[in-house]
Amino acid sequence: MAGAASILENDSTISRLDRSLSVLERFMSLIAGLGVFSLMLLAVVSVTGRQFFNRPLPGYVDWIELAMPLIAFMGISYMQRLGGHIRMDIVIGQLKGRVLWAAEFITTLAIFLVIVALIWGSWSHFLRSFDLGSPLWSRDSTIDIGLPIWPAKLIVPVAFFVLSLRLALQLWGFGRAFLKGDPEPVAVPLILSAAEQAALEARQIEDRD
Amino acid sequence: VEWNASLWGQRRAFTEHVEKLAELVEEKTDGEFTINISYGGLSKNTENLDGISIGAFEMAQFCAGYHRDKNRAITVLELPFLGVENLEQEVAVSNAVYAHPAVAEEMSQWNAKMLMTSPMPQYNLVGTGEPRDELADFEGMRVRATGGLGEAFAAVGGVPTSVTSSEAYQAMESGVVDTVAFAQHAHLSFGTINEADWWTANLNPGTVNCPVVVNIDAYESLSDEHREALDSSVSEAIDYYLENYGELLARWDQVLEERGVNKVMISQDELAAFREVASPIHQEWIDTMSAQGLPAQELYDLVNSTLEEAKSGS
Amino acid sequence: MDSIEIGLWVTGGLLVLVVLGMRVAFAAAFAGVVGLIWIFWSRKGYDASELGWAMTVAIKTAGQVPHGKVASQALSLIPTFILIGYLAYYAGLTKALFEAAKRWIAWVPGGLAVSTVFATAGFAAVSGASVATAAVFARIAIPEMLKVGYDRRFAAGVVAAGGTLASLIPPSAILVIYAIIVEQDVGKLLLAGFIPGVVSAFIYAGLIIILALTIKGFGPPVTGFTWRQRMQSLPPALPILAVVVIIIFFVYNPFGGDAWGTPTEGGAVGAFIVFLMALWHGMRWPELKDALIETAKLSTMIFAIIWGVLIYVRFLGFADLPGAFADWITSLDQAPMLTLIMILLAYAVLGMFMDAIGMLLLTLPVVFPAVMALNGGPFVTAEESAFGMNGTMCAIWFGILVVKMAEFCLITPPIGLNCFVVAGVRPDISVQDVFRGVMPFFLADAVTIATLVAFPSIVLWLPSLA
Ligand code: NA
Ligand code: NA
Repeated sequence: MAGAASILENDSTISRLDRSLSVLERFMSLIAGLGVFSLMLLAVVSVTGRQFFNRPLPGYVDWIELAMPLIAFMGISYMQRLGGHIRMDIVIGQLKGRVLWAAEFITTLAIFLVIVALIWGSWSHFLRSFDLGSPLWSRDSTIDIGLPIWPAKLIVPVAFFVLSLRLALQLWGFGRAFLKGDPEPVAVPLILSAAEQAALEARQIEDRD
Repeated sequence: VEWNASLWGQRRAFTEHVEKLAELVEEKTDGEFTINISYGGLSKNTENLDGISIGAFEMAQFCAGYHRDKNRAITVLELPFLGVENLEQEVAVSNAVYAHPAVAEEMSQWNAKMLMTSPMPQYNLVGTGEPRDELADFEGMRVRATGGLGEAFAAVGGVPTSVTSSEAYQAMESGVVDTVAFAQHAHLSFGTINEADWWTANLNPGTVNCPVVVNIDAYESLSDEHREALDSSVSEAIDYYLENYGELLARWDQVLEERGVNKVMISQDELAAFREVASPIHQEWIDTMSAQGLPAQELYDLVNSTLEEAKSGS
Repeated sequence: MDSIEIGLWVTGGLLVLVVLGMRVAFAAAFAGVVGLIWIFWSRKGYDASELGWAMTVAIKTAGQVPHGKVASQALSLIPTFILIGYLAYYAGLTKALFEAAKRWIAWVPGGLAVSTVFATAGFAAVSGASVATAAVFARIAIPEMLKVGYDRRFAAGVVAAGGTLASLIPPSAILVIYAIIVEQDVGKLLLAGFIPGVVSAFIYAGLIIILALTIKGFGPPVTGFTWRQRMQSLPPALPILAVVVIIIFFVYNPFGGDAWGTPTEGGAVGAFIVFLMALWHGMRWPELKDALIETAKLSTMIFAIIWGVLIYVRFLGFADLPGAFADWITSLDQAPMLTLIMILLAYAVLGMFMDAIGMLLLTLPVVFPAVMALNGGPFVTAEESAFGMNGTMCAIWFGILVVKMAEFCLITPPIGLNCFVVAGVRPDISVQDVFRGVMPFFLADAVTIATLVAFPSIVLWLPSLA
């Protein structure tokens, strides 16, 4: 998925905003990755604790449930920047120029609308679990050791908020490209020609090996 | 009028009172008031209260132990070793607590109103190896029990171990846990009984409390006639539930016999010792909940007095 | 308009959005939110003053889904096994496996493609996610096949199809999900997947050999490896056996003693072993960081589809499409086996339009009890049953059949995930190319499924020992 699109850069405002946002997005993805890593360590601690010390990790399942949103959502905006969320490109892959930018603008707008709705929806989901008057501000807790759930629920609107910034930036980028008829706009994921993509991928594999 | 009711899993003994209620209400109103029961289609089981609060559906079932912080007041019913012996007593204490204003107040924060309980039997243990029938045997025992029940076993030296219910059989087979605490129907459906050498018939360590609630706005907007049809069907639905669960318990005895599972009876002295150990947990619950402004002592006393009454009545 | 009709309209709208190129996860979420608004509003008789209420309830209902559905222990296997996939790459395991398969098997007609199938089958034993397996082998196997002149579409198709083996051969995330939905023993289901997975691999290999013998210029056998070279290829691939043994022992101890833990733990401990191997093989923080970010990216993508589809599924729950399906199935007046085959065909059709996990989550609560009832109920004995097996065994057998169907749907258009992933990893190959290249494997999968339906003992022999 990485490298499936390329993002052009220059020193325009939109491109600088794109790069600043991508620093945050990459950092958030790393946190998600560390979440996966800690799941692995958690299991090792739980198994060794149980097998060798008869002391299983209390609330093992609860901790997993709290870590999962970190893994599932923190990287979402970075994937949107890279154009990595899957789609069918049978139709859109045939389009060029202004028609393409118009199509990208419309589908991105639809995503923006649903994400704004979900920011509201997931925020209210968070609010129902959050109560300043209760111990640990908790009005919803995990089944086994009663950990407060609100921090995990808060991750969703936060990650969606960053995603909405990214989507707004892409709307600006595609809108600008449409108005100017720009063949190579900055700050938006571009569908590359097969040859360009192959070259990019080859570079990546070489980097790895 | 058409209501949606959010349950989970599949139709089973645990949901028969809701099925019966829907049937009765439809009958009494000549089909004018229907309740569609959905098993998991409308919400996740731990979020049924959220759905009621949003107004996404009008009726829902949930269990207090899934999320203690959402429903602090009724967690009194999930305290370990309360001494509840059968489903009739469980119904009596549940009804008494549900009728308390503190419970109504907490539920109203979710826009919910208690309709009825789903009486669950005590979570007695199945285990492998030598039967554990004395307090001392629980030292170092790895037990699959969550929440307050887990705390209680920890207090007697047990080691509560986190596994999901669907992994319970696997955990028992693999020795991850020595014992599993479930109601009988769950021991049957998760297959833990197939691994068992013994079952504690009278340990009665506690259970979960799973009410059925309705959305207040929807309830109040019912016509008098429809509300009457709903309210008047509750006790009939509960009776049906008890009768149906009774059949399951009869089958349970048969399964124990077929598989040669030892029915462990724990002596009265040992049971008293268990209650002794549990009493600090009860006191801690009272202190914590009082500090949060709940009439905890009152709720606790209500459970005990109701239970006494139920026992002397039967 | 009744709720079933709303359900059908919104489903049609979703397909249009997907075809127009909207990202699948968000298209599903969009359709779900719009559908929920529609259905809540319809309950108020489309009264204009109630539209605001309908939108509020719909959006708050949809807003529960992303966190609620993702915060589950069962799904934690998915990122764990994606991480294994990347770590195994840095541990040199995938390359070693492919190299060993090449030296030992590539002399047959269609040799490299056959080697790819068996290498993916081997890797399936450490990977629980089909998509991750396809992603890894798209990097390793496709370049080698292209080098010796395979058609690029077919090369991509082999990898997409081979990737599906990961979900039958244990460990498998989707089998765990099935077990959890239908409340059956996870360990027995994982064991049950093993032989069907291997059978599946052999049927793929057989198909490739037949194609290689009949099509001119298909892709030459690769010969000339000495026995010495073959033996040398084994030690680097052997560590994978250690991982396989650990994961299996966490599920089932073949020597009759206690197993070592639960499947969830087995997966994570397996990942830890591969992590240590990768460290030993020279992985340091820059590579680990890379692996973690790549894991996060692929996990995010898969989870986005899961919660997006589940918002749509939540809408379907309110529209009661599953209920309508159940009524239809149970009203059929025909042989149970015919009904079962029809159910499997229905999965094939449904799977063309839905994500596998979403499809199972949506349908099993309805379909599973219907299938159990067809067999004679959950407590039926083998003698009295319609399919000749008791309730537990029927649940396991149907689980393997359904998961094989779901895997089949990972390679069918229009949203076969494996094909998208292969195309995503290989920028020079389009999704349409992969779909074209994978088509022969539809036939192989049909043969496999027919075999499993006709001979249930292939599925049930191992779990009946445990
Ligand atoms: Na696998
Ligand atoms: Na591509």
